[in-house]
Amino acid sequence: MRLACLTVPMFPLAARLRSEPDLAGTAAAVFAGNGHAARLVAATRPARTAGLCPGMTLPQARAVLPKLVARGRDEAGERAASEALLDAAERISPRVEDGGEGVVYIDLDGLHRHFPDEKELGRALIAAAKREGLSARCGIAGSKLAAHVAASLPDSPVVVPAGGEAPFLAPLPLARLAPEVDLAGTLTRWGLATVGDFAKLPASEIAGRLGEAGRALHDVARGLDPRPFLPRRPPPGFTEGMSLEWPLVTLEPFLGMAEAALERLVRRLRDHASGCVRLDVELSLDPDGQDARSLSLPAPTRDVRTLLSLVRLNLESKPPGAPVSGFSFTAHPDAPRPGQLTLFGPAEISPDRLATALAKLFALLGEGRVGSPRAVDGHRPERFALVPWAPPPAPPERRPPREGRGLLAVRVLRPPLPLEVLVEENGPVSLRTLVSEKTKGTPDLSGAVRVASGPWHLEEGWWTGEGVARDYWDVELSAGPLCRIFRDTASGDWFADGVYD
Amino acid sequence: MSALPVSLPDLPEEISRQLSRAADLAGRGATRRDALPTAVPPLDRLLPGGLPRGALVEVTGGRSSGRFSLALSVLAAATEGGEAAALVDLGDHFDPQAAAASGADLPRLLWVRPRTLKEALLSAETVLSAGVPVVVLDLGLATSKISLAKRARHDFAFLRLSRTAGAHGAALLVLSPFHVAGPAAEAVLTASGTRAGWSRSLSGGRAALPLLLGLSSRLVLERLRGRRPGAAEPLPLRVPGALSSASHHASRLPDRSDVPARRAAQE
Repeated sequence: MRLACLTVPMFPLAARLRSEPDLAGTAAAVFAGNGHAARLVAATRPARTAGLCPGMTLPQARAVLPKLVARGRDEAGERAASEALLDAAERISPRVEDGGEGVVYIDLDGLHRHFPDEKELGRALIAAAKREGLSARCGIAGSKLAAHVAASLPDSPVVVPAGGEAPFLAPLPLARLAPEVDLAGTLTRWGLATVGDFAKLPASEIAGRLGEAGRALHDVARGLDPRPFLPRRPPPGFTEGMSLEWPLVTLEPFLGMAEAALERLVRRLRDHASGCVRLDVELSLDPDGQDARSLSLPAPTRDVRTLLSLVRLNLESKPPGAPVSGFSFTAHPDAPRPGQLTLFGPAEISPDRLATALAKLFALLGEGRVGSPRAVDGHRPERFALVPWAPPPAPPERRPPREGRGLLAVRVLRPPLPLEVLVEENGPVSLRTLVSEKTKGTPDLSGAVRVASGPWHLEEGWWTGEGVARDYWDVELSAGPLCRIFRDTASGDWFADGVYD
Repeated sequence: MSALPVSLPDLPEEISRQLSRAADLAGRGATRRDALPTAVPPLDRLLPGGLPRGALVEVTGGRSSGRFSLALSVLAAATEGGEAAALVDLGDHFDPQAAAASGADLPRLLWVRPRTLKEALLSAETVLSAGVPVVVLDLGLATSKISLAKRARHDFAFLRLSRTAGAHGAALLVLSPFHVAGPAAEAVLTASGTRAGWSRSLSGGRAALPLLLGLSSRLVLERLRGRRPGAAEPLPLRVPGALSSASHHASRLPDRSDVPARRAAQE
């Protein structure tokens, strides 16, 4: 079995630079911990050149470099960068293992026919990581450990020939195997400097003198890696996010950062030929709180502006209630709808454009305002159902419309308009629209009745306890409009629920 | 577009009917726009062939002028022909049950329910940009004219809509109580002179219930590029389902023979 290892040196810094690319050319450093106890984890090249090294406290680093840009570790950003690295590897091989903290193992079986040699394969992996905004190194060997060690060497990619793991590791210092501190002290006292020196010791004696940890390390030194390759399962969603340096109170700066995260998210969706059908938004609130919300889309989309509009509208309609100190977006992928063109039938709408348009409408109007209408089983005209719109395929030929149209339709008034009705022996004789805050902006249907036809009784749902009983009338007003009005037989109130038009 | 001559006898008729000679293509740009037949004879006569694709057509009229019925007929004709269509319904007046009864293929229909005029205009533009070939923008039953300042903005919005429809070859029908599209409209029609049709008869020596049969109005062509305005056609609209209001209501309402008026109508 041949394995590749992709590692991102100084991963916490790389994850931070992925979220904030502007920091790349500056003297910046990432610290772990709080206040004066914070220790430097990684720093950019200008900062390292100025003398900063891992383990320094923040005051020490500031003493060396007063203009240092200090950042804390970004858990959400590191998680997203780790996922992006796995995505990059999955573009080359379907079997990858998450090694944690910017380390990914890739199974190379079956890939050799696609690349002239393993060096090219390694270069392709590095390029894939670069597309995700991560500078990675690559090592290729027969075991995970040898591949990892190879990936940590300069002049990447480094290829260890098949069966050459032990000779490759032999000249390297023992520290490359990262032994435990006690074990490292013992080995130093024994005068062992390289992996090869340690590998030469008799295996039968090692376990007795150094214990189980020593035996495992000895196997590793001989090029034997007992750890199996554990391919990961593709996650149900793609996540991007970051921790913010300062909690944000206003929406605009948040949207600026959200847009960058959504762009990265959409790029990953595009690489998987998917669109986002649901977006989960998690906000970390200052000082200690969480806010989770889920935005459903009517069709898979990869349009960043649409997703951003959805986030904006949702946050505007339901503010989080506290300053936001971090966020993460999880996109649930779905395959875009396939489209089929016809030669002689009506042109079909491009599925991508349709999905984007539906998402835009959804963002503009909100839930329950866009869809394909369906009639509801029942008699109340104001009732309806909306389902996600997915127009069926166009017929192979355009069908001519049926002749003899010209049916009278009713404009339904939702909600029904309250009326004051004067009734005489033969029915309503006069209407007056009752104006209230609810009916503001609705048409005025006041006037004398010229012709009235009714009553037509409607009763529905009496067995549910929420039924209605109405007496309907068709009335023509002297002013012109032809309306459909009804009297609620339970309350005796009158309403207009439609205008013939 | 003329059909190929019989020099290619192997082609099935339905295919050869839709092919043309190269010589015909040269003059194609000069011919009138492709049109969507609506199967509403007055409309198909006033706008030759039907609703022009790639253009905005405005239909104005008061309440009960028949413009909404006209729009539903257009949507029914489009969806029945296998095309996708969209209704941007500012007043939330659409009744899916009635539309299905009039022949609309609901799965091919997108119903957009904006709350404001601005949302309606944006929605219509979004739908047109997506490539939906038939779009109806209904501005509802608003009774007050839009203020002049707003109107100026809307003129620009309708110009955008018209251009978007042109770019995507979509037929855009705008329904409004008064003129709003301005110069953006390729054709303007007005529905007016509405009269409701009632049946009156004597039954058993007493006056029977008047039954709504339909309404008729007059569709007047106010503007169409390349044609003289003023042409008019009667627009008769009948109550769906049957020739009488009684059977119309029987199709929509539960049968209650204990209603005296209903019984009188059935006698």
